[in-house]
Amino acid sequence: MNGIFFAILGAAIATVLAGIGSAKGVGSAAQTAMGVLSEDSSMFGKMLVLTLLPGTQGLYGFIVGFLILVSSGVLSGAADVTLAQGFAYAGASLAIGFGGLFSGIAQGKAAVSGIAMTAKDEKNFSKGMVSVTLVEIYALLAFIVSLLVVIQIPNLVG
Amino acid sequence: MKMKTVRIIALRQDRKRLLEHLQDSGLVQIAKSESSRKGFDRVNVSSQMQVFERNVELTEQALKILDNASPEKAGMLASFKGRREIDPDEIGVIASKAKKVIEACTRIVELDKKCSDNAAEQIRIKTQLAQLESWQSLDIPLNTTGTKSTAVFIGSFPQQFSEEELKVALASENPKLEFELEIQHSEPNATNVVVFAPKSQKAMAEDALRALGFARPMSPTHKIPKEKAELLRSQRQKLSDETMQAKEEIAKFAEMREEIKSTQDYFRIRSDKYNVINHLDHSRHVFIIEGYIPEEDCEKLETLCNRVATCTVEFNDAGEDAPVKLKNNKFAEPAQGILTMYASPGKTDIDPTPLLAFFFYFFFGMMFSDAGYGVLMIIATGLMIKIFKPDKKMRNNLKLFQYCGVSTTFWGLVFGSIFGDAPAAIYNMFTGSNAVMAHSISNMSDPTPALLPWPTIDPQKDALTLMIISIAFGLVHILVGMGCKFAVCIKQKDYAGAFFDTGLWMLMLIGFAVLAAGMIVSPILITVGAVIAIACAVGLILTQGRGKKGIVGKAIGGVASLYDITSYISDLLSYSRLLALGLTTGVMAQVFNMLATMMGTSIAGFIFFILIFLVGHLINIGLNALGAYVHTMRLQYVEMFSKFYEGGGKEFEPFTLNSKYIKIQEDK
Repeated sequence: MNGIFFAILGAAIATVLAGIGSAKGVGSAAQTAMGVLSEDSSMFGKMLVLTLLPGTQGLYGFIVGFLILVSSGVLSGAADVTLAQGFAYAGASLAIGFGGLFSGIAQGKAAVSGIAMTAKDEKNFSKGMVSVTLVEIYALLAFIVSLLVVIQIPNLVG
Repeated sequence: MKMKTVRIIALRQDRKRLLEHLQDSGLVQIAKSESSRKGFDRVNVSSQMQVFERNVELTEQALKILDNASPEKAGMLASFKGRREIDPDEIGVIASKAKKVIEACTRIVELDKKCSDNAAEQIRIKTQLAQLESWQSLDIPLNTTGTKSTAVFIGSFPQQFSEEELKVALASENPKLEFELEIQHSEPNATNVVVFAPKSQKAMAEDALRALGFARPMSPTHKIPKEKAELLRSQRQKLSDETMQAKEEIAKFAEMREEIKSTQDYFRIRSDKYNVINHLDHSRHVFIIEGYIPEEDCEKLETLCNRVATCTVEFNDAGEDAPVKLKNNKFAEPAQGILTMYASPGKTDIDPTPLLAFFFYFFFGMMFSDAGYGVLMIIATGLMIKIFKPDKKMRNNLKLFQYCGVSTTFWGLVFGSIFGDAPAAIYNMFTGSNAVMAHSISNMSDPTPALLPWPTIDPQKDALTLMIISIAFGLVHILVGMGCKFAVCIKQKDYAGAFFDTGLWMLMLIGFAVLAAGMIVSPILITVGAVIAIACAVGLILTQGRGKKGIVGKAIGGVASLYDITSYISDLLSYSRLLALGLTTGVMAQVFNMLATMMGTSIAGFIFFILIFLVGHLINIGLNALGAYVHTMRLQYVEMFSKFYEGGGKEFEPFTLNSKYIKIQEDK
């Protein structure tokens, strides 16, 4: 029995969970942003930036998922994955999966507040943006853990 | 920069000339005290000032209306554009045209008001028309109440009736009532009806109708509904024609936009000047200006004042609460904005801008770390400075990113990253080989061909090495911050604070660093480091409780202070974000390159490649430049400034031309 199923499962976990986090975050930010835009459409650019900030988790998840598919050889059609490697891929994907899921939601909440703050006074935009970006680091750390493991798995586990 | 206070006493007749020149030169910050000193009075020019302010508001409103009516053709990058430079003589021209421009603005605002009034009126007509719609077949006026012998009731019921049903309903309400009725229109929840009854039974009929919920129309007219509707329609047509005309007229004013902007600034400048006059002390013949000025500008001010007015100028040393003006060389100046975003230096602070600038560029480069992106940044900011000639503040921001670009390029080359691994990916796509960008320092004997001849630190393969390097840089950064604290303490003659509170900790951190280095290099260093660290710890225990009473209190205070080590450790670990962000940029770029080259070398594949390459790297630049900027700032603010920087100073705000659109060329 080889580990293709678990490798693909890992790719799915990374992409889907992180994607859910980003989708929730961007979704709630976009709702608030549209409320603001209905009053003053000139703020579109600023609202767009704040809305997109929670979108990075999904991207990180996608990158990890993609790298798993490449590294396990699923993408090139020559998958040669042992069961142990398959488990390793699935394990590695958990970091960005859950890290992305919860940090995406949290960043979305921060983005909503940032949007509300910017709507009151446009000068607050840069402060809001900086504060929202601070949440990002935790998604980034999760991403790096997943990443470092995924690129080493072919060497690590026989 | 050292500040002086200045007092200018001048003749009242020179007031206008002197103030204008002061405003143009922007040398002095004028102190605004609320009440006048003894023997002096205030001149009240509030009413003029209000006129100017009203004019500023009027022009702002007019510009907004013009922007809605015919949007200015401005590129996305227009916000980088600096204020328009004008000749000093042009001010006179603007002043002479001001009246005309204000009239035009008044007209624009009037026309706009008309448009919105018309729109409201049109809505009213629309609702009236909707009401009349259901009376279209009625051929008598809506307010008819009857003839000589017959009473007529025109109105509606709040439910749907057919003729039969209504007749039954009315008859059951009052069986004695004689009536005739005609249904005009019926729909769910409304029936329009005309009821006829003998005049003698008018009251009876009214009661019966009311019991069923009969109501007369909202706006009865003496016209037949059809005619009334015609009339309303023609009115509506007229209104919309008028609106159209007004809009056209507004659009015609669009070519005056530049003039309106200049005029707005003209009034803004004058209103500022009058605001200053309001706060000056006047006697019968002279008036007094007091304020702050940087020491190096004193001479300039004196010659200026003596040239334009009969006056005396005195300078004095400024106290501690003087405003702060930062002055830095070209390298550090762009980072001043980052410093003032946090806080202006307080009275005890040294100006940390040069250090801040160096570390900002350095860390930003390390986080963004791609030679391709770095070169792009240098070129883009350079072009923007050249083309748009932005104002000083925007210029400094662009310069900041230019310097960051240089550092980004440097780190990109160190990490072996040019648009990720784009050169290698493209090379491999066409030749089918498997070349890599460069060999990492840990794996120099790798036989695969490499494009870059020098050894690189690959964040993916040498993550641990890079983590150690990051934390080492962090240690230097923190030590520099503590060095500043040391210097500040010495400057204030707080020697205990300098040597015990700061010096011992610095030594201790150095001791730990030596110890850590010893683990790799040689065991002698371990001993040396350990000795330093232990000696410092003892020193801290002995000195940190010095403020406390009693031997026990001193001992507890000393030992407790060692607990601070945790905060230093967490500060140091925080620098691992240098690795984290640097790694992310490279990996994301690589993944986009991988996606882009997936389709091979066919024509379709080539188009796909260009598309994905451009979009992917744009996303990467946007995301990671923002991340690098924010996290570099965090490292400065949280890790470094917390070591020594007090802040709380007031910025020097000179009395100057505070304009939005125009600036006056300096005399050369």
